[in-house]
Amino acid sequence: MSNLDLAQSGALGDSRLAGRRGAAEVWTVANELPTFFAVVAAIGLAVYLLSNQFFYLNLLTMALLFGGLAVSWNIIGGFGGQFSIAHSVFFAIGAYTAGNLYKHFGVSPWIAILPAMLLSAAVAAIVSWPVFRLRGPFFAIATMALTEVAIAFAMHWKAVTGGASGLTIPYRAGLENMIFQQRWAYAALFLGYLAVTLLTSIVILRSRLGYYLQAVRDNDKAAEASGIPIMWTKLKGMAISAALTGIGGVFFMMYVRIVEPAGLLSLFDVGVKIALIALIGGIGTIYGPLLGALILVPLDYWLRAFMGSAVPGGNLIVLGLILVLGSLFMKKGVAGALRQVYRAWSRQQ
Amino acid sequence: MSAIQLGVEGVTKRFGGLTAVNDVSFALGQGDILSLIGPNGAGKTTLFNLLTGQLAATAGKVFFDGADITHYRPNQRARLGLGRTFQISQTLTSLSVLENAMIGAFLHHPRIADAADKAYAALERVGLASRAKEEAGHLTLGERRRLEVARALGLEPRLLLLDEVMAGLNQTELARIVDVVVALNASGQTIIVIEHNLKVVRTFSKRVLVLDRGKMIADGGADSVLQDPVVVEAYVGKKKQ
Amino acid sequence: MDQFFNVVALGMLLGGTYALVSVGLNLIFGVIRIVNFSQGEFLMLGMYGAYLGYSTMGLDPYAGAFIVVPALTLLGMVVYWLVMRPLQNEPMMQVFASFGLLLLIQNVVLAITGGVGMSMNTPFSQVTLTIAGVQFSATRLIILLAALVAAGGLGLFLAKTNFGQAIRAVAQDRMAAQLMGINVERTFMWSFGIGTGLAGLAGVLLTPIYTLSPQIGGNFVMAAFAVVVLGGLGSVLGALVGGFIVGLTEAFAGYYIDPELKHAVIFIVFIAVLLIKPSGLFGQAGAEEVGLREQS
Ligand SMILES: Nc1ncnc2c1ncn2[C@@H]1O[C@H](COP(=O)(O)OP(=O)(O)OP(=O)(O)O)[C@@H](O)[C@H]1O
Ligand SMILES: [Mg+2]
Repeated sequence: MSNLDLAQSGALGDSRLAGRRGAAEVWTVANELPTFFAVVAAIGLAVYLLSNQFFYLNLLTMALLFGGLAVSWNIIGGFGGQFSIAHSVFFAIGAYTAGNLYKHFGVSPWIAILPAMLLSAAVAAIVSWPVFRLRGPFFAIATMALTEVAIAFAMHWKAVTGGASGLTIPYRAGLENMIFQQRWAYAALFLGYLAVTLLTSIVILRSRLGYYLQAVRDNDKAAEASGIPIMWTKLKGMAISAALTGIGGVFFMMYVRIVEPAGLLSLFDVGVKIALIALIGGIGTIYGPLLGALILVPLDYWLRAFMGSAVPGGNLIVLGLILVLGSLFMKKGVAGALRQVYRAWSRQQ
Repeated sequence: MSAIQLGVEGVTKRFGGLTAVNDVSFALGQGDILSLIGPNGAGKTTLFNLLTGQLAATAGKVFFDGADITHYRPNQRARLGLGRTFQISQTLTSLSVLENAMIGAFLHHPRIADAADKAYAALERVGLASRAKEEAGHLTLGERRRLEVARALGLEPRLLLLDEVMAGLNQTELARIVDVVVALNASGQTIIVIEHNLKVVRTFSKRVLVLDRGKMIADGGADSVLQDPVVVEAYVGKKKQ
Repeated sequence: MDQFFNVVALGMLLGGTYALVSVGLNLIFGVIRIVNFSQGEFLMLGMYGAYLGYSTMGLDPYAGAFIVVPALTLLGMVVYWLVMRPLQNEPMMQVFASFGLLLLIQNVVLAITGGVGMSMNTPFSQVTLTIAGVQFSATRLIILLAALVAAGGLGLFLAKTNFGQAIRAVAQDRMAAQLMGINVERTFMWSFGIGTGLAGLAGVLLTPIYTLSPQIGGNFVMAAFAVVVLGGLGSVLGALVGGFIVGLTEAFAGYYIDPELKHAVIFIVFIAVLLIKPSGLFGQAGAEEVGLREQS
């Protein structure tokens, strides 16, 4: 009797196991969480250790901001393969939304996050919809055009943006105003931003939407024949990506408290830089964009300080070279290169 | 007679001056299996594209379960139950073998674990389960063909369209796919197969439809069609040249 | 009413400029399907090339074209071979790379010149013609003429010569062209070179009008992309007509709406075209479905 039971349950267990064989072979959100917490904790520690070293703390803060932006970009640019250089626009939308709500209506920036996200997502969807109907490079061109238009509008619409002289908001320290006396508080704020973008990115990558985005990127014909609504998938990816970018804009507004269109919407200092960071770190991977930011933001600062002053445009010459060489020889970025090294190493073991 | 599942009425596709599919009509019953044959360039793949929506028909109508789907997008047709493979395998090269198959399985199983299970089962059917974790870009052409089948099976299609999935396979692989097709059909799956190997066609298909230069020149039982002088002339004769 | 005609004239002349800039871009876009974001930088190099000839050898910019255009054709071919060819099947990386080129070229010129604005004259600079009360500057008219000649010449070249036909075959169907024995990569290299050479020509002809600056390419490239999309991928006639449409749109928007918003208006036209007729006015239907012909 007991033997029979055992045998039966064994057989049953086996067949159940056989039925769940696939699930055991895929990586889920739960599998990703340990790495995620480790990364966030490590950066948190770095913030703590640097809390009195303002120079490095500021550099880290900017790296975390751009890390979060690049992670957001990566959702549509990396997973979805839709190359946008207009993420500066969503960044600016976030900044202007928070700035104006705070300045004119006294709305806390924490609350402004929601409208900033919605507005960014809505603009992203409206602009992308006509272009996503087409394949190929049209999207990249359209995003470049969008940047131009956004600058023109921002210069023109002085009531909201303050025109060329910029939008300033008063300094009133306080958690509810997202304005802090201590510099480390901003680093913590941007670490929080980064964590939110990373977590969203993980959840997307390890869900149907992530697979659908990748399928559309790799082969839209196979994707469509598999029942994937291509347009809807791209739009969802774009809207989420833009919404997260908008949050970055809110935080940035409260960090600098003065923004002007030329800086906020700069094609190179924001739009292209976000994409470049993802490229350097590793497009389409979870931590690649963060890695790219930790490398490129200090590098950019250093190039500006040393090259830029010696040779006008010297820092941009180097960035241009990195772009060309990176796209030729390091398509998978630092993350891809590290993974290759790791694979070679583990094969040797 | 089983209920009509697929109805094709006077479907035509022109590419500029070339009529790739010319006024083709036929109907297919639920659970039937049909072989589509014809010389190279006859329009077989184009006909598939018209059925599954990759191309828009110049004229004619396509019905599925009685509904007119002529203007449906490919993804809508997949949702209704049309699953297909591509003659030139459309592998998602940056994903793993299992993940490729999951892309199909997600259609009816939005949760990742469920899709993975279904995909794994589909891979087992086509004999690729042991490669599940590998990068799909590393597969051989023959393996990619089978992966196409697995992805299509993941859709749990009501009508499965296979475009030359047996071309270029070795004997073992071929036998395996033939077994899969026969077993699927035995379990009630409706199937259309494009196939050049007439011996294979004979083993599993009672009904054969012949295209030649876009025209349907024969439609009937395998034995009679394959001996029809018109078909021999158009198809076999040309092959021998 | 006079104002109206003045705006039309301005738009036509501007349109000539855009058409000239776009013809080369469209060749690259239409044939190789590469979005060359650095096209404006080749235009800028053309301007500086003309200036160099002028300042060192006293060469008239129009004469300088005979050196500058072949030089930029060659440079384009080298750039294609070294940077674009290895990225043929990776549109995303092409975008990155051509952006990198844009940054690189622009800032190398900035580093060399120190960013000092330069301008130069030709005997035609001050000449204006007045027809029925509407003023035309001679230098702008020359550009308009050059646009017509360049477009006509390119059209004839593509239609009548063997090499031109090879380029068209490759544009339509790479695989088939390859099977027909056409050397696709060489065709691409030449198309890219001709495209950048034409950008250089546009640059040379623009030197008498615009103050030289390393960033000047950006003023044209956005409009040029709008022209290409509007006129239709790979269509020479499209680039010409599209150029005039964009030029006129810009002139009217600048005059009647707000000069600051003229770019926005172009963008709206651009989106409208994508919505209504994605293949452009003169493009082959389906040409926007970039890439190889469907194979299944
Ligand atoms: N997208 C397209 N544009 C233009 N012509 C096409 C297109 N697709 C197919 N054709 C042409 O239509 C005809 C039929 O092609 P199709 O691929 O349907 O033939 P097939 O029967 O599948 O041939 P094979 O046995 O070689 O696969 C061929 O002459 C082909 O060149
Ligand atoms: Mg075929």
